[in-house]
Amino acid sequence: MGNLKENQAAYYPGCALLTIDRAYNNSSKLVSKKMGIELVDIPDYNCCGIGEMKSKGAVSLYLPLRNMVIAKSELGSKDLVMACSVCYHEFTRSIERAKEDKKLLDEVNSILKEADEEEYIPEGNARHILEFLYNEKGPDEAKKNTVKPLKGLKVAPYYGCLYSRPSMYTFTDKKQGMDNSERPRFMHEFLESIGAEVVQYGNEVQCCGGRNVVQDEETSFALCSQTLSKAKKAGADMLVVICPKCAGALDVNQPKIVEKFGKDSELPVVYLTQLMALAFGFSEKEVQFSDMISNPLEVLKEKGHFI
Amino acid sequence: MANEHNKNSERPVAEKGEHIIARHLIDDDAIKEEKNLVIDGVDVSGRWNTFIETRVDSEFDRSFFGEIQKTVVGSRINRCWQCGMCTASCTVTPLYRRFNPRAFIYMMQLGNLKQLKKYVDVAWRCVGCYKCSQRCPKQVNPAEMMEALALLIKKYFPEEIKSKHQLTIDEEVKAIYEGMILGHGRLDLANLHTSAMRKMGKTTELMSDKDERGAIFKMMKDGRALSVLRLGKPHKWHKSKDAIDNYLRHAGTLEQENN
Repeated sequence: MGNLKENQAAYYPGCALLTIDRAYNNSSKLVSKKMGIELVDIPDYNCCGIGEMKSKGAVSLYLPLRNMVIAKSELGSKDLVMACSVCYHEFTRSIERAKEDKKLLDEVNSILKEADEEEYIPEGNARHILEFLYNEKGPDEAKKNTVKPLKGLKVAPYYGCLYSRPSMYTFTDKKQGMDNSERPRFMHEFLESIGAEVVQYGNEVQCCGGRNVVQDEETSFALCSQTLSKAKKAGADMLVVICPKCAGALDVNQPKIVEKFGKDSELPVVYLTQLMALAFGFSEKEVQFSDMISNPLEVLKEKGHFI
Repeated sequence: MANEHNKNSERPVAEKGEHIIARHLIDDDAIKEEKNLVIDGVDVSGRWNTFIETRVDSEFDRSFFGEIQKTVVGSRINRCWQCGMCTASCTVTPLYRRFNPRAFIYMMQLGNLKQLKKYVDVAWRCVGCYKCSQRCPKQVNPAEMMEALALLIKKYFPEEIKSKHQLTIDEEVKAIYEGMILGHGRLDLANLHTSAMRKMGKTTELMSDKDERGAIFKMMKDGRALSVLRLGKPHKWHKSKDAIDNYLRHAGTLEQENN
């Protein structure tokens, strides 16, 4: 594979986006392309570790950094764009830890060498698609591309944890152009630019159960029902997420949450890029709202956004 | 006077030591509190006479400290000055009062295994939201310190893990993740979910189709659940796997011992 062209960016898809969260993957690519950047998958990606490998020492750095090495050697790109917040966390963590700890970096490089991969040199950044689109194109560009403004649609942006925390890895508040870690606003601005009405509900940066979504449903359900019901009470028609893990907890598990906590926790969940793609004029076939378990299609039709 | 006392005892009385901050960290028998007590004619019943017995920690082991510091996740344990910002920020603490990152870090600093053992049943509940690490004024990274704690528990209290159902499940689900990530280089999420549910004994839930909106059912129908088969393994992943195994065999730290 050759080097990227000027309007292209190296993209790390990750396991969730290539399988059960294909809607997020496809809509991210559609939206980016419409705004003038083509996302190119790195070949031969491997799993980032999804937060489950942190107790494995240098291995937890090896997993993400192998992909950084591939992005550079195969696509000539030091930076790597990704849409999943957990992947984003694993990548930013590894890059920062490798920068500050020479011994750890050497360990990672010795595993890379043994695995017949190229050396990792700490440079370049992992970029979350929200931050990437905001800084490279911005909400004004989104507004220009909007052909079907989402008038009358009340949305509750949900940032979750790892997009803006901890700033020792994400550089929120610390570097110019980055979002605020306690009160992020990039998603707010994008949603307003496509004509939706943003509601404030207080759980924007709360946790969905994160690392223990699978093995500790009790905790995850309690946290999620709080977020969903607060957003619903604030008048939101839907909750907007930017992470497949959050979607897993809030969307896929929602029927079980509603069963336990009642109808107050029933609220459609969608990805930010799905709404943007809808506003940019793409069809349901391309945006795949029907993939979501929490049935956002119904509300969208009610509000007249699928006619 | 005696009558008055009877009246007093009818008032709603707080639980023993209830007003002590971080009450759950103090053993029950270390709190002395008399429900009815009059000294020199002054009524000091209830919380007015609460007394916490002096606690002397003598069974700690500082060599322990180095063991934690050598791990990637626990490397900053020496920086903690016990301000408690982590516990104040914690997502889990309001749900489980005994989950207290500050106290866990303190016990780890002292190497107080005896005390740590009492919290094995809640220590695994960290959700990794990183609020603590965001707000920690000393960049201790408490969120990752909880990973170091998990390593310790695995090494020193394996029998506790085996005897507690939820801990066993946590371990087993982690093993599924590991097997997929290291073995195949990629994660099969649908398979992960169904395997985890099986481990948790929720096979009937898995098989029933009574809930039309059942996520797994839907994903089987639209083909997403099986789409991972199309992905396959990364090219020459076996080399990565061998290199990783080799590293873990020779790491010489807690990380290796738990492998």
